[in-house]
Amino acid sequence: MIVLAMAIFPLIYSLSISFMHYRLIPPMPPRFNGLDNYAKLLSQPRFWSVIYTTSVIVVISVTIQYVIGFAVATALHAKIKGSSVFRVILLMPMLIAPVAVALIARMILNPVIGPLDQFLTMFGFPDLPFLADKNWAMGSIIAVEVWQWTPFVILLMLAGLQTLPKDVYEAATLENASRWRQFWDITFPMLLPISVAIVFIRIIESFKIMDTVFVMTGGGPGIATETLTLFAYQEGFKKFNLGYTAALSFLFLIFIIVIGVIFLAIVKPYVEKRS
Amino acid sequence: MNWGRKFATLGLFFWAFLTLFPLYWVVITAFKSPPAVNGGPTYIPWVDFQPTLQAWRDIASGLRGNFVGTVTHSTLIGVTASLLATLFGSMAAYALVRFPFKVKLGSGLIFFAIAMGGYQLLLNYYGMSRSNSMLTAFSAALVVAVIVNNFRLPGPILGNEDIVFWFVSQRMFPPVVVAFALFLMYSELGKSGFKMIDTFWGMVFVYVAFSLPIVVWLMRDFFAALPVEVEEAALVDNVPSWRIFTDIVLPMSKPGLAATFMITLAFVWNEFLFALFLTNSKWQTLPILVAGQNSQRGDEWWAVSAAVMFAIIPMIVMAAILGRLMRSGLTLGAIK
Repeated sequence: MIVLAMAIFPLIYSLSISFMHYRLIPPMPPRFNGLDNYAKLLSQPRFWSVIYTTSVIVVISVTIQYVIGFAVATALHAKIKGSSVFRVILLMPMLIAPVAVALIARMILNPVIGPLDQFLTMFGFPDLPFLADKNWAMGSIIAVEVWQWTPFVILLMLAGLQTLPKDVYEAATLENASRWRQFWDITFPMLLPISVAIVFIRIIESFKIMDTVFVMTGGGPGIATETLTLFAYQEGFKKFNLGYTAALSFLFLIFIIVIGVIFLAIVKPYVEKRS
Repeated sequence: MNWGRKFATLGLFFWAFLTLFPLYWVVITAFKSPPAVNGGPTYIPWVDFQPTLQAWRDIASGLRGNFVGTVTHSTLIGVTASLLATLFGSMAAYALVRFPFKVKLGSGLIFFAIAMGGYQLLLNYYGMSRSNSMLTAFSAALVVAVIVNNFRLPGPILGNEDIVFWFVSQRMFPPVVVAFALFLMYSELGKSGFKMIDTFWGMVFVYVAFSLPIVVWLMRDFFAALPVEVEEAALVDNVPSWRIFTDIVLPMSKPGLAATFMITLAFVWNEFLFALFLTNSKWQTLPILVAGQNSQRGDEWWAVSAAVMFAIIPMIVMAAILGRLMRSGLTLGAIK
């Protein structure tokens, strides 16, 4: 109960701050200003840019993670020699600190010392601006997200695949259904509920992305890759604008809930139709 | 071997290569000398560069920040927080599996109202300090809510499923919402004598609170899978329920406990946001130190790599152990 309470209290506290004008530097007594913080945020273009950036990163990276993750899980499930070794290897990125992953990425993408640049130069693409250009930087961040979190999808999809009943496949093989047909008519629909859960978790988690961006680009160039959490950090810890930050984090919360509800609403008819 | 299988193997090799190459790159960079790094990419030790221990010597001599201290902190905080979280979380999970709870929505709302309203009231009208009013309002709300729960109340009754859902939905909150408020709360507590920011217990507390949802979620499935008969037999023999928990249930779910402990440890070990907000120098954890490496003294990639390896190696070992556990069907229960 105490722990439960412990988790609620900060929420109540920051909710109350979000309706106040409250700064630490310069120190001013907090005063109530109603919805001003929210109104100010919503009218700020930077806020919308941050929302847009975060959403782009989330949508693209989660889609790729799901596709690759499902494919790899299916491959692993096919009882290939040495699959237990593969399993350990493929799990690794998930357990590495995102900070460390981002630093490794910066090394690999470095134009002078990085291997990727040398590799691409061989194919005639010298000096690509991986972290310096807006679009490339987004691409790099998405790639790193995919690298790190596809294992999560693999892990859970594999667990899902192992729960499928074998006799359905035997029946399908008897009727000469091709592997491809079996996948789309049996595997995919049966794994749909789990897939929805996994994608849902990934969406929620991805929206919190901060460490990777913090280390890789610091939100730059400009604010092109700034994400919601990073924006909150900048406002709160660089400018010490507390009421504003609290309001921002609640808008963030509302936004995530809205996204979650929309996602579940879109997906629901499909899941129900299958079952 | 048919074509599909060959294709699958090929794909696996490709993805494994993509996974391993960056890791390989860190390892070799950590053993390169500064000129070897800056001279352009080199790939194989002893063939195109001579490995040195320079970066490791720098770290050991404290040139790159207090590594020994930080690793110790990370380990202490990580292990303590994971142990406590696993302990409390599995107690909660066990209670949720075996005993039906009925929390009335009404009493929950009353709890909320008293906690929030009482806090504002004490703070603004009675001039109490923030931490005092917080504690008073909170304990009052708790007592009232527990008492009220025994009365008949209008409104729906929440069962175990709802409580679990509530627990798990905690994971959905963006941590900034809480991290920031926690920072303010901790600094208030600091003013009234309990130093929380940048202390051991301050960090352990946060991490326990934030690992609990995962622990409850995972352990609930393990406990639900245990045979009830053993416990029923013990109940007939009048064994008190806490002894059933410590002497029968916990030993039976050892693999689950181990896995949960490790997952929690990985979460705490890698956590960045809370550490960034709530520590500054004394109890800094490893991710913060590692993240600081690239800005402090320019891009000294050989040293950065060595630092990164510090953060990675324990997790790789855990990946190996988890992979083992996974084979015994560990994750099956968690998603049903």
